[in-house]
Amino acid sequence: MLFVAKRLGSALLVMFAISIVVFLIFFATPGVDPAARLAGRGASPEVLSQVRHAFGFDQPLPVRYVLMMDHLFVTRDLTSYVNIGDKVVPQIMQAAPVTLSLVLGAAVIWIVLGLGGGILATRFRGSVVDPIIMVIGIAAVSLPAYWVGEVVNLITQDRLHDSVFSWVPPLGYVPFAQNPGQWALHLLFPWLTLALLYGGIYARVLRAELVTAMGEDYVRTGRAKGLSERRILWRHALRGSLSPVVSLFGLDLGSLIGGAALLTEVVFGLPGIGKLTWDSLQNLDLPVIMACVLYAAFFVVAANAIVDLLYAVIDPRVRRA
Amino acid sequence: MVEVTVAIATSERGTPRSRRSAGPWRVAFTQIAHNPVAVGSAIALVIIVAVCLAAPLYAQFIAHTDPFQSNINGTTVIDGHSVAVLQQQTQGLGLGVEPIGPTWNISNYFLGADSQGRDVFARLLYGGRTTLLIGFSSALICCALGALVGIIAGYFGGPVDWVLSRLMDIIWAFPVYLLAISLSVVLLTGGLRLGPIVIGPSNLLLPILIIALIYVPYVARPIRGQVLSLKNREFVKAAIGLGASDWRILRIEILRNVLPTVIVFIPLMMALNMLTESALSFLSIGVQPPNASWGTIINDGLDLLYTRPAVAIAPGIMLVITAVALNLLGDAVRDALDPKAKLRGAA
Amino acid sequence: MRTITKTLVSVIAAASLLVLAACSSETSTDSGGGSSGQHTGGTLHLTAQSAGGTLDPQVNYTLQYWQLYQGAYDGLLTYARVGGKKSEDIVPDLATAMPKVSTNGKTYTFQLRKGIEFSNGKTVTTDDVVASFRRLFKVSSPNAGSWYNVIVGADACLKTPASCTLNGGVVADASTNTITFNLTQADPEFEAQLAMPFASVLPADTKAKDEGTTPIPTTGPYYFASYSPNKALVMKRNTHFKSWSAEAAPVGYPDEIDETFGLTAEAEVTAIENGQADWMYDTPPSDRLSEISSKYASQTHVTPLTALWYLGLNTNIAPFNNEKARQAINWAIDRSAVVKLYGGTSLASPACTILPPDFPGHADFCDYTKNGGNTWTAADVDKAKQLIQQSGTAGQSVGVVVQNDSVNKGIGLYLVSLLNQLGYKATLKALSNNIQYNYIQNTGNHVQMSLTQWYQDYPAASDFLRVLLSCASFHPNSDSSINIAGYCNTGLDAQMAKADDEGLTDPTAANAAWGEIDKAYMSESPLVPLFNPKLIDFTSNRVSNYQFSDQYYMLVDQLWLK
Repeated sequence: MLFVAKRLGSALLVMFAISIVVFLIFFATPGVDPAARLAGRGASPEVLSQVRHAFGFDQPLPVRYVLMMDHLFVTRDLTSYVNIGDKVVPQIMQAAPVTLSLVLGAAVIWIVLGLGGGILATRFRGSVVDPIIMVIGIAAVSLPAYWVGEVVNLITQDRLHDSVFSWVPPLGYVPFAQNPGQWALHLLFPWLTLALLYGGIYARVLRAELVTAMGEDYVRTGRAKGLSERRILWRHALRGSLSPVVSLFGLDLGSLIGGAALLTEVVFGLPGIGKLTWDSLQNLDLPVIMACVLYAAFFVVAANAIVDLLYAVIDPRVRRA
Repeated sequence: MVEVTVAIATSERGTPRSRRSAGPWRVAFTQIAHNPVAVGSAIALVIIVAVCLAAPLYAQFIAHTDPFQSNINGTTVIDGHSVAVLQQQTQGLGLGVEPIGPTWNISNYFLGADSQGRDVFARLLYGGRTTLLIGFSSALICCALGALVGIIAGYFGGPVDWVLSRLMDIIWAFPVYLLAISLSVVLLTGGLRLGPIVIGPSNLLLPILIIALIYVPYVARPIRGQVLSLKNREFVKAAIGLGASDWRILRIEILRNVLPTVIVFIPLMMALNMLTESALSFLSIGVQPPNASWGTIINDGLDLLYTRPAVAIAPGIMLVITAVALNLLGDAVRDALDPKAKLRGAA
Repeated sequence: MRTITKTLVSVIAAASLLVLAACSSETSTDSGGGSSGQHTGGTLHLTAQSAGGTLDPQVNYTLQYWQLYQGAYDGLLTYARVGGKKSEDIVPDLATAMPKVSTNGKTYTFQLRKGIEFSNGKTVTTDDVVASFRRLFKVSSPNAGSWYNVIVGADACLKTPASCTLNGGVVADASTNTITFNLTQADPEFEAQLAMPFASVLPADTKAKDEGTTPIPTTGPYYFASYSPNKALVMKRNTHFKSWSAEAAPVGYPDEIDETFGLTAEAEVTAIENGQADWMYDTPPSDRLSEISSKYASQTHVTPLTALWYLGLNTNIAPFNNEKARQAINWAIDRSAVVKLYGGTSLASPACTILPPDFPGHADFCDYTKNGGNTWTAADVDKAKQLIQQSGTAGQSVGVVVQNDSVNKGIGLYLVSLLNQLGYKATLKALSNNIQYNYIQNTGNHVQMSLTQWYQDYPAASDFLRVLLSCASFHPNSDSSINIAGYCNTGLDAQMAKADDEGLTDPTAANAAWGEIDKAYMSESPLVPLFNPKLIDFTSNRVSNYQFSDQYYMLVDQLWLK
């Protein structure tokens, strides 16, 4: 119990620190004062000071920080500095399903690719299959996702759009509820692009785990009992090797849902959390930046905490550590 | 970067090897030297580095061009005809201007021109220097900093550990790209002032420091775990028992055992950092023009993607080749030095 | 906000006033009159990379929404909502006729039209007009302090907006349906300011705060049905609307107009080519220009704008506090290279003067061109180097601050390259489009050279010269200091005031005077004119009846849909 409380406590502390850091980073930037932008071009000094006052920009920084947190979490009516009246919380709510669609779809693909690749490589260790899969894995890990995305767009949207890829819809997002077929079609290439990288990573991790496991005592015992290699791999080694993969998956999912797929979203024009974050950073729209960063940090911290807690459940020694 | 979680398993099982003499290093080196993949990658890297270092020679003696000077109204000779480097569109309404495409002539606009009329191939070589420099130096700084933090936190424990670990937690929980982007946006606008030293937006130190900083936890965490378990090993306990000073224990016992892991991280980190640099530059918040890096050239190429795709594709291919070679080499180094060390990441 | 939104509508010269009075008699055009028939109906799909901020017409200061307000909001006066030169005329809108102006120029009396209803069904009354002008101060409208401060009682409203009454300033008489404006001093710009979207008439019960994303009822042919800045803005036909004037309130053709946000410019072009969208607000990206200008020439409309892209040289710090150094830059800039970077000779023409061609007061001269003449032919780098030598500024470092989109950054790169060639040590700083404009205005940021642009939307010489270069536009250490060069020349300020007065009596002489002032500024060289741009409107093959208003650009609701 104490462990849980401690873990949650440090998670909250981290979130708090992050919000302070974002706030300070923002106000350290010159030319960032939103008052002049809000007031409009050529605003007279009186109007400028009225706007400054109306938005509370004339208050000391700590007060402004508290006010912003109050609007974000308590009254939940924090609004953008750029699109006045545009509430931040609903923006996040609108963007979240897009990111979720992207990440979950890609996750299915990369799990299949990664696990399949890892198992195949182990199964055919010593043959050419293993190094081939591992080189593909390394190549996938070494590809810049944004560049792959742009090249995919060039081919599917322009160069071969009149022939092979005439079925590819324009960039953007169609909600699942509106048209499931179009939803999948719009997300197909983003899924593949994102899954390529993670598939490579998972194949490599799983193979490393499996290779270690195949040398463990219990596997040797199994061999001595005359079990087939295939049976040992599937029944014994795989079971033991999956837990690091699962915890990795938890952490990845956390950060991706939080918006870590930013470049994929930007390149494919998907209006998810990552794109929202990027747009708000370009506009230096502090309320939206703050909400996005905290949203992202929440998932990263939560995923870390959950993985830790699960480990604690499985292995009581961790609790004392 | 992006889409990157560099997770480093703090491999609790990872039993650090005991004291090392010069012997194991030589063994490791021999092992790497006998690994054809590692040797191949190393050769590829040497070639890439050599070619990029030769960029000024290429620009001056072969292409006769200055890749940092705009050449908007310039002309060049192709097949005996003098043509404008940037050509005014004449069809239809005559909107737009197009740079010349690849000539596949190594001494003259081999990969064509960019929208400033500069030689893309020459910029590609110069860009490689920047990208490699940033990747290498930020990997060094990051590994050094990460090892320092990890060793101090792990060895001294208590409040020191608590403060450092929370700091790492904060950086860790800040989605990697987001921290990098926020820092870049701010520092590019204002520059960095450290007392009397001012680092301007066009200084390469900015991306180097930013990238090094954001990955510190990925090195510090596993090192800290390793130091924690080292502390419980007999030889360290014995040294403490004998009254050796902290400094001596850190230097002789801890550092020596941690070093192989840190070295294993360097090539992998370098690949990761190069990809991060290119992603930041792609978002135009990394290396600032007119300086070139592979990421900035990809960014330049995006504006020409539909007409002159070579500009964006070529640096991407260079980036992939280099990252693959580094990752393969890194794997071999790891297998030789510290098979348990795990650093996962890519872009 | 993008640069094209940098419109500042200000002074109206008396010349225009006289012309306007003559033109205000009712004349209807073919396109304006069509209330029903074969061209009506359908949904027009517009697309923009991002939303234009608040939808409140008394606060929004972007061309993006001003263009849409033409089919939605009305004030007492408006610019004629027609294509061509006539779009520069002010015509009565909610007023029955142009105002009666007292001889001292301080009182304007309007007669309000009867029977006009808001989109919520309520009738427009004189109370709504008075309330709208109070609200203008209560919501801190951008130009409340610079345009509408001539109204009696405005000073108090600027100090304490919450209790704003404008007593004695805006007087309504419900029995005669008249509204009278009393001004503290004669103001030749007043009618132009009343024709701006800021002076739209809104229901009296509209909340006295920036309504942001909440639509306010309209009087025009459309109302705003919904607005979500991350998704779309939807305009639907206002069933309470009956056209009262073909010039001021023409009937719109599409039944619905929506503008969706979020696509990249690249994707917008593709969407229009495939007929999924009908028009894009943004400029097509450079690598798509050849495609649209050859394959889609009939759907592409190119119109010259009275706008200027220029460099602001900070005249208060080195090296450009030296006149010779400033002149050297004017000599050295290769305008043809900059034009190329903007998209070529079909999209821009080199500029020598601050006032664009075909603009009141424009004089043909070109002080900084090789071989002389009245048009720019070539840069003179030798002359520039010589001047820099004389100025003793060679070797100094120069920071160039530009926006970070590809065109601006491209020009910035050229400038850095050129400055290095001239012997300076140049660095480039590319800032987010949203920040750069305020950043370069603030003297605290020590910007030496900046690339920016000025788009007119009212034809008056003072709109360029006074706004960009008068001492009154310079506020040190403020993000809102539109005189980016920080240049203050009291002698030329006095000449501008004189030209203004002269405009009331002798417009031709006044224009000649403005031309001389332009020339005088150019010899001091606080700005470096680069080029006058043209606008590309790229429409789908579903639409026809394209018309261009000099004031608000393409007339969106006058498009016909197939």
